[in-house]
Amino acid sequence: MSRRTLPDSVRTTHGSKAPWLALAGGILFLVSGMLSWSYDDRILGDLSIRFYPAGIQLYAMLFGVIGVILAVLLLRRPAWLSPARGLRILGTTGIVFVVWVIASIAYQSGGLINANEGGWVALVGAVLLTAGGHLSPEVDIDVRRWPRLSSTLEIVIIVVLMAILLFTVAYTLDIEDGVIFAAFLIALIGLAGGLLGTGFGDYLGFIGANNRRPLLLAAFLVAFLFPFTQDGSDANMSIATQVLIFAATALGLNIVVGLAGLLDLGYIAFLGTGAYVAAMLSSSGFATVGWKPPFVVVMLIGAATAATFGLIIGSPTLRVSGDYLAIVTLGFGEIFRLAMFNLDGNNGPDLTNGPNGIPAIPDLELLGFDFGEVHTVAGIPLGRFSNYYFILLLLLMFVMLVFTRLNNSRIGRGWVAIREDERAAEAMGVNVFGLKLLAFSVGAFLAGLAGTIKAHQDTSVSPDQYVFLESAFLLAAVVLGGMGTVVGVLVGATILKLLPEKLREVNDYRLLVFGLLLVVMMRFRPEGLVPSKRRQLEFHGEDEELSELLQAEHLQTEHLKPEQLEPEPLQGAK
Amino acid sequence: MDAFAQQLVNGLTLGSLYALIAVGYTVVYGIVQLINFAHGEIFMIGAFGALSTWLIFFDGNLALWVLPLMILGAVIASVTTAVLMERIAYRPLRHAPRLAPLITAIGISIFLQEAVRLFYDEVPFFDFPDAKQRVPFPQIEVVTGPAFQLGNVTIQRSALFTIGCLVMCSAGLWYFVNRTRTGKGMQAVSQDPDTARLMGINVDRIIVVAFAVGATLAAVAGVAQGLQVTNINFRMGFLAGLKAFTAAVLGGIGNVWGAVVGGLTLGLVEAMAVQFIPGTFGGSPWKDVWAFALLIIVLVFRPQGILGAKVVDRA
Repeated sequence: MSRRTLPDSVRTTHGSKAPWLALAGGILFLVSGMLSWSYDDRILGDLSIRFYPAGIQLYAMLFGVIGVILAVLLLRRPAWLSPARGLRILGTTGIVFVVWVIASIAYQSGGLINANEGGWVALVGAVLLTAGGHLSPEVDIDVRRWPRLSSTLEIVIIVVLMAILLFTVAYTLDIEDGVIFAAFLIALIGLAGGLLGTGFGDYLGFIGANNRRPLLLAAFLVAFLFPFTQDGSDANMSIATQVLIFAATALGLNIVVGLAGLLDLGYIAFLGTGAYVAAMLSSSGFATVGWKPPFVVVMLIGAATAATFGLIIGSPTLRVSGDYLAIVTLGFGEIFRLAMFNLDGNNGPDLTNGPNGIPAIPDLELLGFDFGEVHTVAGIPLGRFSNYYFILLLLLMFVMLVFTRLNNSRIGRGWVAIREDERAAEAMGVNVFGLKLLAFSVGAFLAGLAGTIKAHQDTSVSPDQYVFLESAFLLAAVVLGGMGTVVGVLVGATILKLLPEKLREVNDYRLLVFGLLLVVMMRFRPEGLVPSKRRQLEFHGEDEELSELLQAEHLQTEHLKPEQLEPEPLQGAK
Repeated sequence: MDAFAQQLVNGLTLGSLYALIAVGYTVVYGIVQLINFAHGEIFMIGAFGALSTWLIFFDGNLALWVLPLMILGAVIASVTTAVLMERIAYRPLRHAPRLAPLITAIGISIFLQEAVRLFYDEVPFFDFPDAKQRVPFPQIEVVTGPAFQLGNVTIQRSALFTIGCLVMCSAGLWYFVNRTRTGKGMQAVSQDPDTARLMGINVDRIIVVAFAVGATLAAVAGVAQGLQVTNINFRMGFLAGLKAFTAAVLGGIGNVWGAVVGGLTLGLVEAMAVQFIPGTFGGSPWKDVWAFALLIIVLVFRPQGILGAKVVDRA
């Protein structure tokens, strides 16, 4: 997978200069933090004062620190580390970072004239870093040969990293200014990429793979602790709950699209089914059904109704080619929206109040715990959205559990077989139709489940929440993150929900960028940001290195697990 | 009986519009097995292309001779967009897994809608209206104006124009597919692209032509829609595209005449559903639901469509 952008001859002749170039780049970045970036002191948290770095200038200095570290590492030419890769990532993101900041300064203060020397110095620094990274020799490293740490130490590393993650997330969400927020995100990608790209990332992945359970536990602990960092403020928690609902739904869609390879363009209808069922059975004054069962029953009814719709819509269409399914589900999504819009008593029975929807859905109350009230835990007040955040986190965990357990089972392997080649799968005895139907209804069930909570959290349901665009967004989360993976979808869902919330300045262009993003992703990285290796191979079939790597890993994981080894009585003496 | 005749006229008009757009889906699908989901947007771009032509050259002039030039403008806009789309977005993905082009198509569709919504009034040098709301479409003389009365049946002039467009376009399409070299090349490629390539047919060119043919008909449909509804908006392509795709499947996707038959059938079903389905599930609020329900029913009982698809699934 190593992409060599320069011919080897250039590297050999100029390779010795690379560390010095990188060092100069790093120092320039450090210096730029001390300089003035903008003439206008009213924008971006005042970047106009020299020798007093603020926000963005500090991020630039961090680029410098890591650049210098990598350059020094490069000088010492370690055989086990690859600073070149880190430098390339650092330098390239550095360029993006500086260009973004300078462009924002020019845009916000009315002209490029207002960008002061700091930005330009940093730009030169970023270019030098990139050049250094490209000129220095590539070191082929294998992190599996790195010294093994004791498992306690490995777990400590995981916990520390998770704690850092928690505080970074809390810090990131605290940034109010959209431009600074984006700048910080870019810087974060560059800094983390610069450090991890050297081989530490692979190593951490290796550690993580060896300690899956502690990693998962730590990740959920961090997620549970997140509301406590918010000091009772509901602003970020409201975004976080939206992200969670979106992620849980997208993960359900990932079963359908990512595992079974069935394109569902009307998935939002299943979420809507759950939400409408919950609204109709709630004790809202506008609810249209007299029966008020407890919420657990409502959840089951909502999910079961969605799954039934899934069966109804799936059974005729799953027999025909995949393209038809995409359009039929799209049609079903529209039918759902129109039906919810129409069922107001004038056209058909009064179930949904038509375009007005069902407002004033009361907050949940489970086991005497009122989700609408502020609870104080350990001196930190947790507001309404925090309460929903916890239950949604449980839901997400449940969905993840279903996803991973199914994925690693006979059913999951059947789905993958169908996705790769339906006819071959059928010939091998896979029950294609049954498994497709199962994928479709499990996906619908999970979405329905999420919908029932969403109705209470939003306090209202209306048809315009469940339009095609929402389905497209869900699909985009799956595609952007990486089809068939859990982490990818979480990343994709977070990006797609968080960025529009924070980048209010460019909110009008949100959809335009989104459409463009889909096209560009499919063109250049169709496997997503966090791809599953198998999927990656599917899109890059000609990459032999990758396929060999995958095969080696497959052999390692599948055949070296002691419990999976066949007992061999003939060699029992050994 | 009057009600039936009236709905027959309405259904044929609506169906003609669907048929014109559906041809674009079916031609492209027949050749590259790609659902060009963004085709509805090509239809929308056609309508805006016609409006722009009128605003630039003939602002205020409603004479009939302007209409062909408007259609020409619409066709240029649509074909340019479609060809660029094929070249930039679809061609690099030709051998990618099937999910990839479909997702690209959704992306293009959203991108084109948003581009028109955000930037139509910001086109430099011209004073175009804001496309965030509905934009009035010029009502050309002769093809709009007082309706004809045939007994108790009302026939709008724009309805006649739409049906006329379908007749003329079908004739042109028939001539193109069956009598020209390129048309015969298209038939060959849709039967077997590899053999066609061996026979010396430039398959890439044929694919571009297929996109262009679809875009031409969609552009005509865009003008017809503008005349009929009297206004256009950036969202008009979505539902029309979806319905037209339904029509294409209904007739048998990949079969050009299937698209025409399917379009007319779908239009008639919708119109009749408005009139003749009794009780509260009838009437225009439910007509789209019936159209999509028809799609599902067809897929259950006759997945190859009314006329039968000429191409089989080559996945």
